[in-house]
Amino acid sequence: MQFTSETVESLVDQFARLPGIGRKTARRLAAFVLKLPKSEVEQMAKALIAVKEKVVFCSVCFNVTDHDPCPICASSKRNHEIICVVEEPNDVMAIERTHGFNGVYHVLGGAISPLDGIGPEDLRIRELIGRVNGKSGAVTSEPMVKTKEVILAVNPSVEGDTTAYYISQLVSPFGIKVTRLAQGISVGSDLEFTDEATLTRALEARVSV
Amino acid sequence: MILKSIRLRNFRAHENSEIQFDDRANLLVGPNGAGKTNILEAIYMMCLSRSFLTSSDRYVLRKDAPHFEIEGVFESEKRVPIKVRVAFVPGEGKKIFVGGAPLDRFSELVGRFPVVIFSPEDQQLTSDGPEVRRRFLDNIISQTSSVYLDHLLRYGKALKQRNELLQISRKRRTAPDPMLPESWTEELIRHGSHLILARHKFVTDFSNHLESAYQKIGTVVERPSLSYDPFSDTSLQQLDLIKSDQSGADIVWSIDRIQDLFRIEIARKAASERDRGITLVGPHRDDLEMSLGLLPVRRFASQGQHRTFGMSMKLAQYEYLKERNSEKPILLLDDVFDNLDPMRIGAFLDILGSNAIGQSITTAARKEIVHDHLNGMSCHTIEVCSGGHVQPSLLEIALEL
Ligand SMILES: [Zn+2]
Repeated sequence: MQFTSETVESLVDQFARLPGIGRKTARRLAAFVLKLPKSEVEQMAKALIAVKEKVVFCSVCFNVTDHDPCPICASSKRNHEIICVVEEPNDVMAIERTHGFNGVYHVLGGAISPLDGIGPEDLRIRELIGRVNGKSGAVTSEPMVKTKEVILAVNPSVEGDTTAYYISQLVSPFGIKVTRLAQGISVGSDLEFTDEATLTRALEARVSV
Repeated sequence: MILKSIRLRNFRAHENSEIQFDDRANLLVGPNGAGKTNILEAIYMMCLSRSFLTSSDRYVLRKDAPHFEIEGVFESEKRVPIKVRVAFVPGEGKKIFVGGAPLDRFSELVGRFPVVIFSPEDQQLTSDGPEVRRRFLDNIISQTSSVYLDHLLRYGKALKQRNELLQISRKRRTAPDPMLPESWTEELIRHGSHLILARHKFVTDFSNHLESAYQKIGTVVERPSLSYDPFSDTSLQQLDLIKSDQSGADIVWSIDRIQDLFRIEIARKAASERDRGITLVGPHRDDLEMSLGLLPVRRFASQGQHRTFGMSMKLAQYEYLKERNSEKPILLLDDVFDNLDPMRIGAFLDILGSNAIGQSITTAARKEIVHDHLNGMSCHTIEVCSGGHVQPSLLEIALEL
């Protein structure tokens, strides 16, 4: 097979690297981009570069943000006594969309999975313990408040379950209430893909662990 | 549940075959290698999402074909038609559609179209290793409980993760963080204990079905039985010591008790698990003891008894599923009559002809094997010629008398 345009082909290759995109879809996307006016393509390219140049991790909750600390950690309107622990930044967005949670977050960056070579030391677990322990370190501008509750909003997978158990064992000695999202979430689905009503119910009906 | 028709494209020997089925007894006849069994394999795949012969979808793809496709039209007891389509493209994987909508998870399919398959391999249930019996347990309980299937899938994942952790710890010679193994052990116990409780309950409920099935097929009156003892006596005694209030004749099976026993066994095997780097305790090592009278089938039964026991297990599976499902299972019989004595063939056909059984689809090398014993029962016969070509039932014989 001979490609008429190596350039188009390399764009297809790049799209095909994205999760959930097969070669067929990648071709359609490349064809779409070809038809776009140059200015719009430039906007797209800029947005791509910008996420790598401007976006940093919040030094308190490790969510992605343009400013450190992130608007949630910096807000005095949020309840800093309740920390909701999630796996990924997208999970924060999913919970924020419910408008049902006024606490703060902690983004682990994944779940414990020996098969993927991910241990507790690869996640922000030590930093979480530091937060609930009241020893957040010098970097943070989070007001020093005593944590009252840790909500484990990790995915309902075996890796999420195990991570939740691991964290709950570390947090409970501090006498802090540890809760888990009620398992109203359809089994096997990620938090990110759970609809808002279900997530709201799961938050309201959280159970102690 | 009734399968009205099926179409196979590039599935094993079948380039493009379409078959209509009768609501009751169906017979697929044709020479070996013509593709009779493949039709059952495709039906099974529509019901349970995978083949009973291979674990890889690639092997069922017809040679040099770009993809395979199975399309079936089922009809429920309430006469509602449901279309199921299975499509496989190498590199892209398999997709299953029910009523046109794709399934997110194949486990959603299991139990909707109950199915039981009889095959010559059923003898392995009594003669082979424990994994055959665990597969039997998992197949039947999953078809009646999606909760069981979910725990089973999660148990499998937790087991893989825990084994990996044991391997890593063994290589490093130290477990750096004691909380980590404990976390995976708890996850394993969480799902494993539900499997154990469900298997225990199943064995209790299944016994009556097994006994009556054995009486229908068997010629001698030995009593068949199953027993399931997931925990060692040592662990049971140890639990009695810890919780003296629980001891006594009445052993209560509860999740809590199973979890206690599971923890005791894991603690007892901890050193060996560390040495070998694998999980040595849990339902993935379960076995079922099968007996006739007081004797274990595995060691003392004759060839004929093995055969009868295996068939009884499957017939009992049919009754068990029928009792728990609003739909009668579809019964598939793969070459089971070819080497069976006339008496057992007769007994079996009587069962197929009775109202106890809904739709059945049987394969045989020669139609006479079945037709000679029909005894007035009608049987929709379909010829499968070599190359998977299916003759529109030219040889239909309806022996209604
Ligand atoms: Zn933050």
